[in-house]
Amino acid sequence: MSAGASQLQSLLPRESLLWIFAAQLAVLLPHTMHLPNWLLGAWVIAVYWRLEVFRGRREMPGRLAKLLAVSLVVAGLVLTYRRWFALEPMVALLAVSFTLKNIELVSRRDALLSLMLAYFLAATLFVFEQTIPYALYGIVCVVIITAALVAQQGRRSARPGRALGLSARLLAQAVPVMLVLFVVMPRLGPLWAVPQNTKAASTGISDSMSPGDFSELSKSDKPALRISFDGAVPPPEQRYWRGLVYTHFDGRRWSEPDAADGYPRWGRGRSNRRGYDGAGSERALPAVGPRYRYQVIQEPSHNPWLFALARPHSETRGVRETDDDTLVYRTPVGARLAYQVRSWPRESVADSGMSAAEQRRNLQLPASGNPRARAWARARFEEGLDGEAISQALLSLYNRSFTYTLKPPALGADTVDEFLFSTRQGFCEHFASSYVFTMRAAGVPARVVAGYQGGEWVEQQEYLLVRQYDAHAWAEIWLPERGWVRVDPTASVAPERIRDGLQSAAAEEFMQDALLPLHKIAFVTRLRLQWDMVNYRWYQAVVSFDSERQEGLLRRLMGEISPLRMALFIGIPLLLALLVLVVWLKWSSRGPALPVASRLYLRFCRRMARAGLPRNPGETPGEYAQRIECALPRLGPMAVRITRAYERAAYAGDARAEKQLRRLLRGFWPIRLSRQARTQVQT
Amino acid sequence: MSVQPIQSQTSADAPGVKPLFRARWLRWLNRRLPPAPTMTLDHRKLFVLPTGAGMGLLLVIFLLWLLGTNYENNLVLALAFLLVGLLVILPIHTFANLSGLKLQRVETLPAFAGDYGQARIALGKTGKRHHERVQLAWPPEEGVQVDILEDDLREIRLDLPLLQRGRVRAPRIHVQSRFPLGLFRCWSWVDLDVEFLVYPQPRSAGPLPYGASVGEGDQQKPFSSGGDDFVGLKAYQPGDSLRHVAWKQYAGGRDLNSKEYASGTDARLWLDWDLLGGRDVEVRLGNLCAWVLEAERAQVPYGLRLPGQSIDPDLGAAHRHKVLSALALFPVQGVSQ
Repeated sequence: MSAGASQLQSLLPRESLLWIFAAQLAVLLPHTMHLPNWLLGAWVIAVYWRLEVFRGRREMPGRLAKLLAVSLVVAGLVLTYRRWFALEPMVALLAVSFTLKNIELVSRRDALLSLMLAYFLAATLFVFEQTIPYALYGIVCVVIITAALVAQQGRRSARPGRALGLSARLLAQAVPVMLVLFVVMPRLGPLWAVPQNTKAASTGISDSMSPGDFSELSKSDKPALRISFDGAVPPPEQRYWRGLVYTHFDGRRWSEPDAADGYPRWGRGRSNRRGYDGAGSERALPAVGPRYRYQVIQEPSHNPWLFALARPHSETRGVRETDDDTLVYRTPVGARLAYQVRSWPRESVADSGMSAAEQRRNLQLPASGNPRARAWARARFEEGLDGEAISQALLSLYNRSFTYTLKPPALGADTVDEFLFSTRQGFCEHFASSYVFTMRAAGVPARVVAGYQGGEWVEQQEYLLVRQYDAHAWAEIWLPERGWVRVDPTASVAPERIRDGLQSAAAEEFMQDALLPLHKIAFVTRLRLQWDMVNYRWYQAVVSFDSERQEGLLRRLMGEISPLRMALFIGIPLLLALLVLVVWLKWSSRGPALPVASRLYLRFCRRMARAGLPRNPGETPGEYAQRIECALPRLGPMAVRITRAYERAAYAGDARAEKQLRRLLRGFWPIRLSRQARTQVQT
Repeated sequence: MSVQPIQSQTSADAPGVKPLFRARWLRWLNRRLPPAPTMTLDHRKLFVLPTGAGMGLLLVIFLLWLLGTNYENNLVLALAFLLVGLLVILPIHTFANLSGLKLQRVETLPAFAGDYGQARIALGKTGKRHHERVQLAWPPEEGVQVDILEDDLREIRLDLPLLQRGRVRAPRIHVQSRFPLGLFRCWSWVDLDVEFLVYPQPRSAGPLPYGASVGEGDQQKPFSSGGDDFVGLKAYQPGDSLRHVAWKQYAGGRDLNSKEYASGTDARLWLDWDLLGGRDVEVRLGNLCAWVLEAERAQVPYGLRLPGQSIDPDLGAAHRHKVLSALALFPVQGVSQ
């Protein structure tokens, strides 16, 4: 008997099965973006099978069927993923184990295991995305999983309203603990190298530039960078966010030097760790203070390069400076990344000449092509002009007869020649490319710099929002006495592009291909900026909350961080919570409220008990009053009056008697009375 | 049916407690939760610990923390901390679910040894709080599960397998609940001072010993099927066997009469201890018990003769209880309980 009953009790009823499936579906749905589609199909089949078993139409799968299912799914995983040490296959593996568990979901134990897995899978969602919508969805998931746990407690608990309500209530009560832990728990930093999200395509500026790349970028209004300043803010025409330096030109395409040139991207970065012996850094920081201090929050680009003003230095872990005056990250930026930068004024750093290799790199030109540009440059050189004068001549040429457009005519084989002498319409990349080519042809070391220019203030200059359409390319030339000097040929054609941004420089063409011209509606623009603001705050407060910010916050909250204050910081909320709890327990274990008269009478009884004459169990008020009269004659008449008033108030519903009872009790202090009696006896 | 023996003394089956500590544990429990017919569960009587699933969640939290730390992902960490919060508040809810539950022993029904004894226990609230998914059991029995909701006073029946006759004190009742998430369990070992009166296990001893009496000297031949010497009619009295009612005469329009039979000197049925000489005490008691049941079934008034004790023949539930109690409480000889 007992064995049968226990099995019956541990078998999963319908509602608890359905709840488990609901929780699994909630967790799996957003994962379909990263996981192969057949996984969802496999899940549906597993669930269908389990429900058929529940209806009694099918048997629980045998060992052979289970083996087959496992090998099928593993084969699917092997075929889908080539690399195993990556994020997606691991999450997929988790989802698979979850799916396969369904076909042998028999006991309560299995159900609980499945739900624990669901919690974990819900968390992996955040590894892919940390945006507000995902966070909200994550909360929904956790509420549903917890509701599924509630539903395992039987039919009454499995009703949707009750399960969800109870789950939400429990989680809401857990939130204070979470907040305290979130603020207090130390962030250790990665304990070991973990696989990163690798699948996503890179966005934004790429490692090469050919005609048309930047006009492509100008169609996107996605955010690229958010920059907040600490102190001085550079004027609009100085906001050049340098990302990459292209020095190699093959006649059409500008690119970074090849890794084959002994130029690995991360390797060329200087370590920013100084500390072992002080000589770890090759370049000492300038003696004068930095001009700008700022924090850049970069959207995931899946590229390693970062963006900063010229002469940057960053202490953020994983960020290095390069010889090209840019910053790189140790891995491609797969999630939002925040880094602190200090930038020095260009003049403060004396460039210590240029090595022969560097000079060769910055004068490199293809062997042939673009003869007219070369001829023009040679003519300027033979006129005896120095680098600065040649640059001036070229810029005034642009200024005289060139137009700035997002839709330039297509260029043939000699891109520079055609642009300089026939089409004369172009975008920043055309100007930068032709400028650098010509300068090099004239013997002046020059390079193309790609990055973003400008940005839009959000919410009273809290931060600068730089979008993809702010992508820009400009040039730098080497002047022997001044070092690298920034020259923006676009500025001489369309100064408003630099001052006010792309939107005002190319108002006609700006975002023409957008499905809805939302940028033209002021209200929508404002709303979008506000949404960006919310995102920014979210990122600042939650996503990028690291040990440094933690320390800052704790210092703000506690003044200074000491063990005692820490203990108080954790202990006081804990004690408060316990107190609230105890009060709640007491309150909720109280019976229904008594009528006023009874409460008053009970007070009388309590006072009598304190005076040494408690009421016996089962004693009627009348008997009690008599006993008091006998034992304490002094109190007797009063006790009788109180009892009579109580009886009238309680049984006859006499409101006047109730008032009288209250009045009588106010003056009834048996301890004092009996003590007086005793002292009288003594005297 | 295989049932594990249960000691008739107070025993709370604390799993995993070695015998050495068991006595101490029971002493401590007796001090902390003294037996009482009515008991309200409160913080002194309840224990809370995580279940296996609760430990599982702890493991999940640790893994989440590793994930969040390695990926420097604050949302994963926040989820881990939220689950920690859940683990912090859950024991309180689980405790509150049982705290304030009032248990009251109502009565116990006598039973035969080898059968299940049943105790009726009333459950109620002392406050406004509900008590959900409360399991009561005498482990290793299954027990029952009840919900005490809005102004609910529930009476439940708990079964306990009984092996020995006599007065048997029930072990402590295991009251447990895993509400609301099954991650913590709150439990208590409650002693409601439940005592069973256990009749001996009936052992068949052949037909009823009509007319048999031992030790009178004038030994008569034992009648095989009751007295069959018809003596006459007498007025029917309640309690008379229906078999002996003179139905024929009644149908003929006369008063309800019983036929009177005589069998030898003493026509009444005496279930005598001495009739079963030479057998073991417990077997004798079992045989007597079987006869009692047989006589009740046959509606034959019967009396009981035990050493130093005699109950005059009669019929009916009260008489049966009296006789069976005498059998149940017959002193145990040689075997110390």
